[in-house]
Amino acid sequence: MQPRRPTAKSKALREEHERRRRIKQLAVLAVAFLAGAFLLLSANIARGAELPEDIQWETNMDDPPIGSPDAIRGGTFHTYLPSYPLTFRLHGPNSNDMFASWRRSVSLYLPLVLRHPTTDNYIPILATHWSVQDDTKTIYYRLNPEAHWSDGEPITADDYVFAFEFLQDPLIRDPFSNRYMEDYFESVDKIDDHTIRIVGKQESWRPLSDYSFSPLPRHAIELDEEWVERDNYEPPVVQGPYVISNWRTGERVEMSRIDEWWGDEQHYLQGTFNPDRIVVRVITDAERALDYFQRGQLSFLQVNVARMWATQLDIEPIRKGWAHRKQVFVETPQGLYGMIFNLERPMFQNKDFRKALQYLLDFETLNRELMHNAYYRIVSAFEGTPYQNPDLVPYGFDPRKAREHLQAAGFTQRGSDGILRNEQGQRARFTLIYPSQGLERHLTVIQNHFRRAGVDMRLQLMDGGAAFNRALERGFDAIMISMSAGFYPQPHQYFHSDFKGVAQNNNFWSYGSEHTDELIDTYRFSMDEEERLAAMHELDAIIQDDAIWIPFWMGPYVRFIYWDYVQWPDFYFHRRASALTDNLVFWIDPERKERLERARAEGRALEPDTEVEVDPYGVQEELERQARHAGADE
Amino acid sequence: MLRFFRLDPITRKRLRRFRQIKRGWYALLILVFATFLSIFANYIANSRAIMVYYEGRLYFPTFTYYEMATFGQEDDWGFDDAETEYRRLREEFAGTSNWLLMPLIPWDPYENDFTYDTSPPHPPDSRHWLGTDSQGRDVLARLIYGFRISIFFALALTFVSQVIGTIIGCLQGYLAATFDILSQRFIEIWSSLPFLYVVILIGTLVTPSFTLLLIVMSLFAWVGITYYMRTETYREKAREYCLAARAMGASPLRIMFKHILPNALTPLVTLTPFQIVAAIFALTALDFLGYGLPAPTPSWGELIDQALQPANRGYLWLSLSPFVAITVTLTLVTLIGESVREAFDPRPYAKYR
Repeated sequence: MQPRRPTAKSKALREEHERRRRIKQLAVLAVAFLAGAFLLLSANIARGAELPEDIQWETNMDDPPIGSPDAIRGGTFHTYLPSYPLTFRLHGPNSNDMFASWRRSVSLYLPLVLRHPTTDNYIPILATHWSVQDDTKTIYYRLNPEAHWSDGEPITADDYVFAFEFLQDPLIRDPFSNRYMEDYFESVDKIDDHTIRIVGKQESWRPLSDYSFSPLPRHAIELDEEWVERDNYEPPVVQGPYVISNWRTGERVEMSRIDEWWGDEQHYLQGTFNPDRIVVRVITDAERALDYFQRGQLSFLQVNVARMWATQLDIEPIRKGWAHRKQVFVETPQGLYGMIFNLERPMFQNKDFRKALQYLLDFETLNRELMHNAYYRIVSAFEGTPYQNPDLVPYGFDPRKAREHLQAAGFTQRGSDGILRNEQGQRARFTLIYPSQGLERHLTVIQNHFRRAGVDMRLQLMDGGAAFNRALERGFDAIMISMSAGFYPQPHQYFHSDFKGVAQNNNFWSYGSEHTDELIDTYRFSMDEEERLAAMHELDAIIQDDAIWIPFWMGPYVRFIYWDYVQWPDFYFHRRASALTDNLVFWIDPERKERLERARAEGRALEPDTEVEVDPYGVQEELERQARHAGADE
Repeated sequence: MLRFFRLDPITRKRLRRFRQIKRGWYALLILVFATFLSIFANYIANSRAIMVYYEGRLYFPTFTYYEMATFGQEDDWGFDDAETEYRRLREEFAGTSNWLLMPLIPWDPYENDFTYDTSPPHPPDSRHWLGTDSQGRDVLARLIYGFRISIFFALALTFVSQVIGTIIGCLQGYLAATFDILSQRFIEIWSSLPFLYVVILIGTLVTPSFTLLLIVMSLFAWVGITYYMRTETYREKAREYCLAARAMGASPLRIMFKHILPNALTPLVTLTPFQIVAAIFALTALDFLGYGLPAPTPSWGELIDQALQPANRGYLWLSLSPFVAITVTLTLVTLIGESVREAFDPRPYAKYR
């Protein structure tokens, strides 16, 4: 049957009908809009952007300054980055590269309140006082009236309201920020020029960490379609002391300290941000950075490669005492790093098999032969945070125990290929996916050890993204995972059975039981820190006993070489520091600089600094106690 | 079939000429000998003994797993069913009537030798003639096994791609017209695919194996041959003998492979050595990038990768051994190729400038 073509009459009728429907829709929309607007307005009026009457302001002026009282202002600090910044913006596309994150820590991202990087207490920075309401998600902040932007304008409540809108705006082309602000923040309101209220989405026992962000200069940003391109290489107006003053594309960026920075008068910022000028050079090859350092073109150099640290630093400046080596132990949260077993696979459902593999990892040999004894074993799932169970000791290398567990797992007979089999004739064989060629050296040694015990581990290299996707999809037997971690562990996303058997989340194992869920919920929702700690410690112990992953190793320190003119506070840097440049607490000593230059010109040696390892926070001591570095002193 | 292999006078003459070009002939002998030897690599470099005489019985462990208990050896890890350590066994046999015969290089390419005081890589010494790599594995053993894999991979790849390329090229030349035009367009598109990327892409999805790599690389390697075979066929089919064959009622396939192919072999033969070179290179490149055969397969590319790691730059033996190995192999193959070309040249006394 052919569909009937509409006649002229029915067509007119239909159009009429359509028009009416559209008008109706419009009317409904208009009414809804008006009602919504009214509701919003009235809600705003009802809630009142004003302070509660009985507000209790809090502050903390009792902690020591972040920097050292001995610090000297001035001098030029030379450093490098492996690539030229793709943008000077700190938001929007490409704003997540190393330059941006490095600059966030030195120039823009001053928070309202900061957790003191050594004492962990909250200290005021851009706010002078704060007040957390009983609902644990509403916070009032009193802003520091002294605080100014780098162009001289004061930092006011409007800048916070603006930042809140800015970060949610699709025009910045930064979906992550958009999403983050929407997920975590309910509202940001101006109460008066120097008082704001931030309301978060959920209750929190750490509201000052969760519900705080940095302002943006309303007067200096014009957000429109072209903002991303226009501000690409436009030096931004910042709260911190350094502005980008000079740059040569592809080669270097220079930053200078502004005169009379407001922070100079602040108690906690004493002794920070000491150099007058920062020169960031682009050096693409870490090896060459050492050459630049030797020529005196870098003030210091962080050495991350164990082999370089162990074998390549016998250089003239260090021999002659012009430059020094330091290894400073710090306590930073260490994310998951290790071999993760997929508990959905039958082989790994057997706890004895998982335990056997734990006992077969010969970390001592690996560390000695392949890593210059530079590393420490990870043991906790919450390593480097207060929630790590301090009583855990790593599974040692113990083939005899491994053999017992293998037999208990039913793997009793060797086949003609030397691989163990169980009674069903199934081989002790699995595939390990790993995302980085750099790991191959270690993994092939582990493979040999497993093989000797009769376990066949096959290796499959995958591109990082594809490998991680396999992890999210549970498409693996075992996989190497490396995650970063914040100060507060996230056990819910990693270990909660909410995510068991579901793809696309971080519970890579498909792990979780009723009991561990309870512990995780205690950590998430309990208001009692003691209770939270106890729950997390128990959880940590259970996870270790369940042997669901083989934790690898970590370097809980910052290793670097520096010229004699760079001076450090006696604690070097903070307990939670992850990089040398955090808060710029070092300084350039002009007298020592002159002395060094004379000595170099004459080829004369200075007194060497023989103390290489520094442990200001007792981290190394604690690691030794936990037997994390077996065999180091042999 | 037999007639195909019976050498006609021209071919015989070409072979004679090839033998007269000494550098090519000796290069061929060396390469064939090395390839033949590499088949027996397990008897040359291995941690398993070739032969063990124990308590009146002979054992041949090269391809068999013997647990320690077989020879009364004890494991310091407590695994008596672990594989026998033959180097240790040799010492334990000293002074008894038992004996064993170890290969010339008593190391297999996977073993980590962690018995030194320093950490690997170790420079060449009497234990490891070419030193060890950054995991303490014997470089010479890895070179030998790496050669075996490379050369057989290259031979297989060359053979497969030539068969496919010849068939398609002949069909194009003989059928001409629509088939030729369409398939040529297809080849143009196909050959513009960046083959290294495709292999890498596949490598991220599945673990590459020898066969898989061979299949994937054959998919791309046949294209080059078709150009030559197509033109050769075009030329030959216009000759009188083809016409005659057709007049006598020979089928197209018979004409193509019985009459035309033997006369169109010259480009195939002269190209072969260079294809082998390309195949070795491709495999080495893939291994270098980490997308070749999975670790810990011994490979030259992987050795070069190690040598080029910033941390390993001071260790000359790591870079020199695969470099020399590749250079020698490729030079030999190229010498053969040149001589073949010269031998097949219809104008032996012409000078090309």
